[in-house]
Amino acid sequence: MKALILVGGFGTRLRPLTLSFPKPLVDFANKPMILHQIEALKEVGVTEVVLAINYRPEVMINFLKDFEDKLGITITCSQETEPLGTAGPLALARDKLADGSGQPFFVLNSDVISEYPFAELIKFHKCHGGEATIMVTKVDEPSKYGVVVMEEATGRVERFVEKPKIFVGNKINAGIYLLNPSVLDRIELRPTSIEKEVFPQIAADQQLYAMVLPGFWMDVGQPRDYITGLRLYLDSIRKKSAAKLATGAHVVGNVLVHESAKIGEGCLIGPDVAIGPGCVVEDGVRLSRCTVMRGVRIKKHACISNSIIGWHSTVGQWARIENMTILGEDVHVCDEVYSNGGVVLPHKEIKSSILKPEIVM
Amino acid sequence: MKALILVGGFGTRLRPLTLSVPKPLVDFGNKPMILHQIEALKEVGVTEVVLAINYQPEVMLNFLKDFESKLGIKITCSQETEPLGTAGPLALARDKLADGSGDPFFVLNSDVISEYPFAELIEFHRAHGGEATIMVTKVDEPSKYGVVVMEEGTGKVERFVEKPKAFVGNKINAGIYLLNPSVLGRIELKPTSIEKEVFPRVAADGALFAMVLPGFWMDIGQPRDYITGLRLYLDSLRKKAPARLASGAHVLGNVLVHETAVIGDGCLIGPDVAVGPGCVVEAGVRLSRCTVMRAARVKQHACVSSSIIGWHSTVGKWARVENMTILGEDVHVCDEIYSNGGVVLPHKEIKSSILKPEIVM
Repeated sequence: MKALILVGGFGTRLRPLTLSFPKPLVDFANKPMILHQIEALKEVGVTEVVLAINYRPEVMINFLKDFEDKLGITITCSQETEPLGTAGPLALARDKLADGSGQPFFVLNSDVISEYPFAELIKFHKCHGGEATIMVTKVDEPSKYGVVVMEEATGRVERFVEKPKIFVGNKINAGIYLLNPSVLDRIELRPTSIEKEVFPQIAADQQLYAMVLPGFWMDVGQPRDYITGLRLYLDSIRKKSAAKLATGAHVVGNVLVHESAKIGEGCLIGPDVAIGPGCVVEDGVRLSRCTVMRGVRIKKHACISNSIIGWHSTVGQWARIENMTILGEDVHVCDEVYSNGGVVLPHKEIKSSILKPEIVM
Repeated sequence: MKALILVGGFGTRLRPLTLSVPKPLVDFGNKPMILHQIEALKEVGVTEVVLAINYQPEVMLNFLKDFESKLGIKITCSQETEPLGTAGPLALARDKLADGSGDPFFVLNSDVISEYPFAELIEFHRAHGGEATIMVTKVDEPSKYGVVVMEEGTGKVERFVEKPKAFVGNKINAGIYLLNPSVLGRIELKPTSIEKEVFPRVAADGALFAMVLPGFWMDIGQPRDYITGLRLYLDSLRKKAPARLASGAHVLGNVLVHETAVIGDGCLIGPDVAVGPGCVVEAGVRLSRCTVMRAARVKQHACVSSSIIGWHSTVGKWARVENMTILGEDVHVCDEIYSNGGVVLPHKEIKSSILKPEIVM
């Protein structure tokens, strides 16, 4: 089986992290986002993953070459020379996706974190016999989204309603699809939206089905949702692989600590924290609802909440970091500095407090 | 002869432009900053230029390979694996700078734009017979700088005074040096400041001389100074090579237009404007005190002043862009938008007006 991951463009919503790496290589729970997806695809028998990219393909390919060997899966790129929307990339990669086997292929949005219930999806797709399956997820405020209206019993999609003012349903496209090769014939090589153009056509032909995604789902394409997604992900780990989570008197709730990270005495870590490879958390540190990425040092007595600390950064002694502070790569917050929602571009030193949310360039 | 150009690090002061290319490759007067220096060095017989770099060396080298051929000058990199200050790089590049000829070598700060009077500098250096020569420039507010105190008659440097409260002189280091190879014997391979450590020692030995730089000088390492530097540079071109400046009823004052740029009817351009390669300035546009970089498009009736428009960007119809607005690469300002000092990171579309200076990420 094959899969296409829609990597897309510049990741501006996840800046300043995406100023250092393409978005799919940004770490989520101590692992590049895209690896979560590739590993899950491999588990259900996918042997080749095609990345639809239009920005810095060489960085992606170089990084993923290592994982091709480790995972035993072929990873190739299909590069857009200009953005092709969400369907155009399928046409561009046609020769890689349609191998004549007649097998369906996956298409994934690279910003999506979930439990990737791909085995259930394959089963559902085979069962209904239609041309395409999309996974959907329930949301609390459907009026903000494009809503998928479907027959409850069969999952057959009737139509899509964009930002409905009157309630028509509460399920939205979860960015995970399983498509028969025949779908490729419906797509031209031009900027095209799979959600607004292709799927409505398939639905009109009564060939589109929707499966409600079990477990959690989050589009982690911007920092606030990234932090929420981390909480959901760690909850899921708690249910499925609790042994991966940290334990001890210094731990509150769900905490993921990479084996190479060091945590000092008298810290209080959690809930909902991920500490990455090679991190050093010195004595007396308080961390909650945050991600600390590879190579970061948190000095003594610092207090961090609801924030993301980027690769190779430092948080000084007694510093206080909170309220969606995002430190880019190699950012150094001095001792006793307070950051209230500062968003800091890479390679900066923060010597004075940031009292209200602002961008530091 | 040889030269070392201190390229340095991340160029954070010149963001968002330096998020797309290393600082020395940012265009100034329609040419990468560093080319101004390399061309001037070649004119006085420099045959090899060494770049002291600690960030993205491959980008610099790839770009400059083309110019090595065109200019007939050898360009190599000396890469710092960690920042070595302003003197450490000389120690790192020792084997490239000291070729046994006994010839002095140039050292330049890459942010400096001037007339690069290198021939006069060589003559002055030979005349005084000392170990090192620094160029100095006069400033209006010496109390903000490190001031060079020198004998007026001979140029011999007596001492350096950092941010003097009482007047001791008005000349500061202009970031252009000509050094005998023996200076290398004074520098260890560690982070060292040439201004605060090495030169004071050379001065104490009575072997450091200062030459007042003729013509204009500007450190263009941040946007406001970049715009000021453009005015000074164009004034200098007016005196030295006026044929290179644009002329016509549509031109006010000093304007530099690349031969591949297209300017529409009814525009008013100037003073102090540079329009880069492949730019399109549509009919009825007003431009003053600004740089429009390669392949940018300024649409009909737009008004741009005191700003920098980055590569491949667009300014919409009737848009007004002013007060140190800096558009990064591939930024698109929609029609009728007003930007008052917006600083926009690359790959963004600006759909609503920016009423006060802010960073758009």
